[in-house]
Amino acid sequence: MTWPPDVQERAKELIGRYPDPKSAVMPLLYLAMRQDGYLTEAGMREVAGWTGHSPAQVQSVATFYGMFKTEPLGKYLVSVCTSISCMLLGGDAVLSAVEDETGVPHGETDAEGLFSVEHVECLGACGGAPAVQVNYELVEGSTPDQVRALCRWLTGERPDAVNTDDMQDRFGGRRSFDWAITETDGAIGPFPAFGPYGTVGEADG
Amino acid sequence: MADLVKITVDGREIEVPAGELVIKAAQDNGTYIPRFCWHPRMKEVGMCRMCLVEIETPRGTILTTSCTTSAAAGMVVHTASETAKKAQEGILEFLLINHPLDCPVCDKGGECPLQDQTVAYGPGESRFVEEKRHFEKPIPISDLVFLDRERCILCARCTRFADEIAGDPLIEFKERGNYTQVQTFPDLPFSSYFSGNTVQICPVGALTASAYRFKARPWDLRVVESSCSHCSVGCRIAVESSQNDVLRFNGVDNDATNRGWLSDKCRFGFEFIGSENRLRTPLIKVDGEFQEATWGDALDLVAERLGAIITEHGGEAVGGIGGARGTNEDAYAFGKFMRGVVGSNHLDAQLDDGLDARFLAGVSPRAEIGDLDRAGAILLWAPDLKEESGSLYLRVRHAAQDRGTRLVVAHPRRTGLDDRATHKLTYRPGEGPALLADLVAGEGDYAAVLETLSEGPVVAIVGRTGLTEQPELAEAVAAFALSLPDAKVLPFARRSNTFGALDMGVAPTLLPGRATTDDAEATAQLEAVWGPIPTHEGRGTHGILQGLADGDLKGLVLLGADPMRDVPDGTLARQGIESADFVVAIDLFLTDSSEMADVVLPAEAFSEKEGTVTNLEGRVQKVNRVVTGPGQSQADWTILDDIARRLGKPLAFASAEAISKEIADVAPAYVGISWELLDWDEKDGAVVPYGAAIQPLIYHPAALGKKALQAMSQKPSSGALALHLARTLYDDGVLMRNSLSLHALAPGGAVYLHPEDAGRIGVSEGALVEVKTVDAALRLPTVLDPSLATGVAFVPFNQPWTPSLGAALSVVVAARKEVRA
Amino acid sequence: MSHPQVLTARMTEHPTDSHTLERYEVTGGYAHARRAMDMSRDEIVELVKASGLLGRGGAAFSAGLKWSFLAPSRPSYLVVNGDESEPGTFKDRQLLERDPHQMIEGIIIASVANEVHEAFIYIRGEYPKPARRVQQAVEEAYAAGYLGKGVFGSDYDLDVTVHLGGGAYICGEETALINSLEGKRGEPRIKPPYFPAAKGLYMMPTIVNNVETISNLPHILEMGSDDYRALGHADDCGTFLFSVSGHVTDPGNYELPHGITWRELIFDVAGGIRDDRALKAWIPGGASAPWFVPEHHLDLEITKEACGKAGSMLGSGAVVVMDETTCVVKAAERVVRFFAHESCGQCTPCREGTTWLEMILRRIEDGSGRPIDAELLLDVSDNISPGLTWPPKQTTICPLGPSAVSPITSVARFFKDELMQHIEQGGCPLG
Repeated sequence: MTWPPDVQERAKELIGRYPDPKSAVMPLLYLAMRQDGYLTEAGMREVAGWTGHSPAQVQSVATFYGMFKTEPLGKYLVSVCTSISCMLLGGDAVLSAVEDETGVPHGETDAEGLFSVEHVECLGACGGAPAVQVNYELVEGSTPDQVRALCRWLTGERPDAVNTDDMQDRFGGRRSFDWAITETDGAIGPFPAFGPYGTVGEADG
Repeated sequence: MADLVKITVDGREIEVPAGELVIKAAQDNGTYIPRFCWHPRMKEVGMCRMCLVEIETPRGTILTTSCTTSAAAGMVVHTASETAKKAQEGILEFLLINHPLDCPVCDKGGECPLQDQTVAYGPGESRFVEEKRHFEKPIPISDLVFLDRERCILCARCTRFADEIAGDPLIEFKERGNYTQVQTFPDLPFSSYFSGNTVQICPVGALTASAYRFKARPWDLRVVESSCSHCSVGCRIAVESSQNDVLRFNGVDNDATNRGWLSDKCRFGFEFIGSENRLRTPLIKVDGEFQEATWGDALDLVAERLGAIITEHGGEAVGGIGGARGTNEDAYAFGKFMRGVVGSNHLDAQLDDGLDARFLAGVSPRAEIGDLDRAGAILLWAPDLKEESGSLYLRVRHAAQDRGTRLVVAHPRRTGLDDRATHKLTYRPGEGPALLADLVAGEGDYAAVLETLSEGPVVAIVGRTGLTEQPELAEAVAAFALSLPDAKVLPFARRSNTFGALDMGVAPTLLPGRATTDDAEATAQLEAVWGPIPTHEGRGTHGILQGLADGDLKGLVLLGADPMRDVPDGTLARQGIESADFVVAIDLFLTDSSEMADVVLPAEAFSEKEGTVTNLEGRVQKVNRVVTGPGQSQADWTILDDIARRLGKPLAFASAEAISKEIADVAPAYVGISWELLDWDEKDGAVVPYGAAIQPLIYHPAALGKKALQAMSQKPSSGALALHLARTLYDDGVLMRNSLSLHALAPGGAVYLHPEDAGRIGVSEGALVEVKTVDAALRLPTVLDPSLATGVAFVPFNQPWTPSLGAALSVVVAARKEVRA
Repeated sequence: MSHPQVLTARMTEHPTDSHTLERYEVTGGYAHARRAMDMSRDEIVELVKASGLLGRGGAAFSAGLKWSFLAPSRPSYLVVNGDESEPGTFKDRQLLERDPHQMIEGIIIASVANEVHEAFIYIRGEYPKPARRVQQAVEEAYAAGYLGKGVFGSDYDLDVTVHLGGGAYICGEETALINSLEGKRGEPRIKPPYFPAAKGLYMMPTIVNNVETISNLPHILEMGSDDYRALGHADDCGTFLFSVSGHVTDPGNYELPHGITWRELIFDVAGGIRDDRALKAWIPGGASAPWFVPEHHLDLEITKEACGKAGSMLGSGAVVVMDETTCVVKAAERVVRFFAHESCGQCTPCREGTTWLEMILRRIEDGSGRPIDAELLLDVSDNISPGLTWPPKQTTICPLGPSAVSPITSVARFFKDELMQHIEQGGCPLG
């Protein structure tokens, strides 16, 4: 096993929550992404060792889902929704603005490893369309101008963790509903920030 | 017997087993429903949607897949209604929109279910005008198989086979939706021993075999059914040839043995037949070099030299080794030649690498392979079946995985069936008897194992787990197994017609038809046809070679045998053959052994002759002639008869079939067996004793008590490891050596160590180490293997470029000392 | 007009802490689960059946009836379906973020009713914030002794694990979700035989319920089946969360009873069309639903039955409103593209057909449409959903394939002219 001891502890704990170790493959894939910034071959082999899948089976499961990415990713994954509700309210223009501002066409990552840009299907933020996520942290009610500002901020500031409330306040608009409370945690890479997976970080400011 | 129900298919009422899949029920009654993903030997998945039919239900008529619908009383099925036909056409149109127009260059053309079903059930043209999906094509996914993802229709037959049937989940779907494709994991190729089956069951040309690519079109092939000759199961195969060249083996479906599957060794192990290295003319050694000779000259010389030995020293100065690679008819001829003509009881079809011949021939009750499906528990104390008999491995896997049969595996190392085993008992070679004693006593952890085995019926597959293991252990295991409820034994020896040869008496203790040499009645019956024969027990292979080395024996007849490579004690084999005054080898190739002979006679190989073979169940099956042998090669029995004639005692056979008739007259257990029976009546072969035939020898393996077992247990000498010497599927055996695609896959010589032992010795993975036994010293690379018990070294047997280590239990493994200049 | 709030009451009245255990208990929370512990399994199932609660994930199947199908072998499992991915739907997100304890109490009730000791909450991977809230609430409940060993001091153990999805809409289909939880590709299973109540998670009896469905349970326990029914309208019991989006002035989630009209929903509740434009069409129940148009459907009552009779469905309650500026071909292509992206790939008609439909629509949109394409769209659709009927038939394993057909039949039925104009003019007539 090549993961550091604390990650191995986490892996054991996650496996322990399921009646069958194979069920833990998805959480462990997130652990692997946390280690390498994206899902590497070594990461998949490691996961296979823990769950009892063959590496080919892990690859099969991982590539089925959109969020386990097997190509190197940027520090910030910018996902722009282009499903029907966001499309109706200008999501396509938001996507073009992101591509233009970052210089990264959708589906690609820049040479520097700063931005990956993708267009995605419905993020469940239709009441605040158009919607954008940075490392899966939501910004609702975006516009081309605001999303450009968001990209410039990320380029300039390079925060280690991105916080949804903070980004929404600065670069968002209409929300689907009252978010009501504020968090201080944030996402530390292109994978969902979730405590049990060890992927949550303190956001500054 | 399942209940039968009446259903209606396209207006015709038929009676089918309740719960049977509609697609199968219809097919068995003459209505073919088109399909791709459904395969009768795999679980249904309903993915391709090709088998859509309309079924009337109380809630109305529904359109559904017939492969996922079970027949129920009164069901009304329409396979060709307007709706069903439109759906079927639609599915084919969908399948063809991304399918490339490769037919002219695709192997599958002419035997392609997609082609056939498009013509029968598809639309006249496709309306797709967009760009088809593209992939790099083809890509090798292993040394033997290529994948073309553009042709793939994503029926998942291959991935399901690899996972569910073979237990090798090395190919899987990747991505999803329209991007779905079959793939391996990078640097982990599809090196399953069963990969070739996916080529056979792929309904399009997505999976092709490198051994067959572009070689022929199906309509050029001549196809004859036969029985495979690579292990003692004798799977049914279709031998396919064109222009007198065997080009392909395919699996033939049957319930008795292999159910249509083949291991890759069996499937691709045909290259040796047409190999350039085949012997074409007799060879006589003159001044240390072989010279081509005529049959006349060669046979004369053999008769002269053997005759001289017989005259001077007696018939018992000649030994005969081999006969397990040919047909029963050839083996019978060998037995008659050695006993009736030469006058020697020193003959053995095994190469000092098997078990007591009487045990193999006579153990009772003997299981049939089908009993595995009905067993409550299986005890597997034998070689790793995945390496030595792929089909048997698949049958055991199926029983344990799909039928809930409990499985107990005892072996020094990991086996292919460990993941399905209820209990795995690992032990050090030599200490098997101690383990058996513990198991029989049933104390501690063994109580649970005993309990597992108490749920009958029990089938015990018993053999030698490795070549340093005491052969008596297998018998003790069999004795224990037979004490379990409703138990039967399946004795295991690998070489293809070992069981047939033993049944034909090619053993020092057996006469043809499962009688022993001390059976007066059987002897008398035999002598009536053969003339006088020696009646005492003879020497086996070990004794023959020892006798030759000591000078007690003078002459040696090798019938398709390579003792230099196959006898574990390689030193003894060399000494024996070198010391002999005269050696004649009847063989397909110049092997390490036949190289040392005085005369070599070219023989016909599998699929060049017709005859019968007998498998480990005692099932007699037919092998058939498809091509002619190369050059001046002859059938074994003809060669032996020609020598016998010159020695003054012809074998008097008119044909191979005539031999089979004599066998049925003279071999008690084989009464009633004939070629006609096997060709016409018993398509799955006939298990002997067949019908009213009687088997004189009923062998009861001796149950050994704790003391005896502990006395049998061996430990290696101090400072040494216990050597586990076992075969791999691909090795340097003569047939593999001459099947080039497969020979390249032999793992090669190495020594496998438990990481603890490696650490103690001070070596890591890949390090070259000194490996010493009493017989040999080799340098081999290290492989770390945590599945071994500590104190064990595993060395794969008979690997290319790797000399013999001998068969002693003790092996010393040491790190190489660097030689400083 | 005001409508009673049940599911959204706490979060409306106590926005700053509706997600906390403290607030949840102070407002009466967990009392109903406590009561359920003392009820028999049959009692709870009958109560839920009598309440008329229908699944809120889109299939609208009676929750109580589903529970009654649970096969006898054990262990049994409960899986809460938080994979909300149907375009236009965002109501579960609000429930998860703002009142997670409501769902957890529902989980306890559903678990007791189905003899479940291990429950899983499957939340789509793109919802990390809702997942964090739920995880926090789960930890609070464990600390209080409401989950884990000996729930409420009884001898009933219940473990709840939050599991993140990986970005696949198809995992919202219950058997695909189960496969995903087993560590496999999220591919739907064939039914029969793999009905979850009989052969679900690890081939054991499993109940899969939507977040909103589960969240209703404490309220049903609290008010009883009669009052719960009365909250609704005729056979559509209880309240319903509508997610309204698109060209309306006030998009958002609205908790309403059935029975109001579409006109009321769009023009009263959601504030009408923005910028005073004209309503062109709307999707009544998520991307899978055939479209409604003002000419025919504005004054239809919003009920399961009326919707079905009119050739569509309420589904997950996602209403996507399109105004006159909308190019219907583009809208249809965007919806079809969604299904093509999300197709699991197992079965031929969906895997090949949805992409083919997307390609044809894109070609039409880009100006390279051919007259025959209109017919082709419908025939390809027919090979996925024979007869183009409603409710749809399917040649596929699951309903995703036929879902992709909905926008096509809608455009063909109500906007044929606009489609033909695209083809004839080589581009969108709207410019």
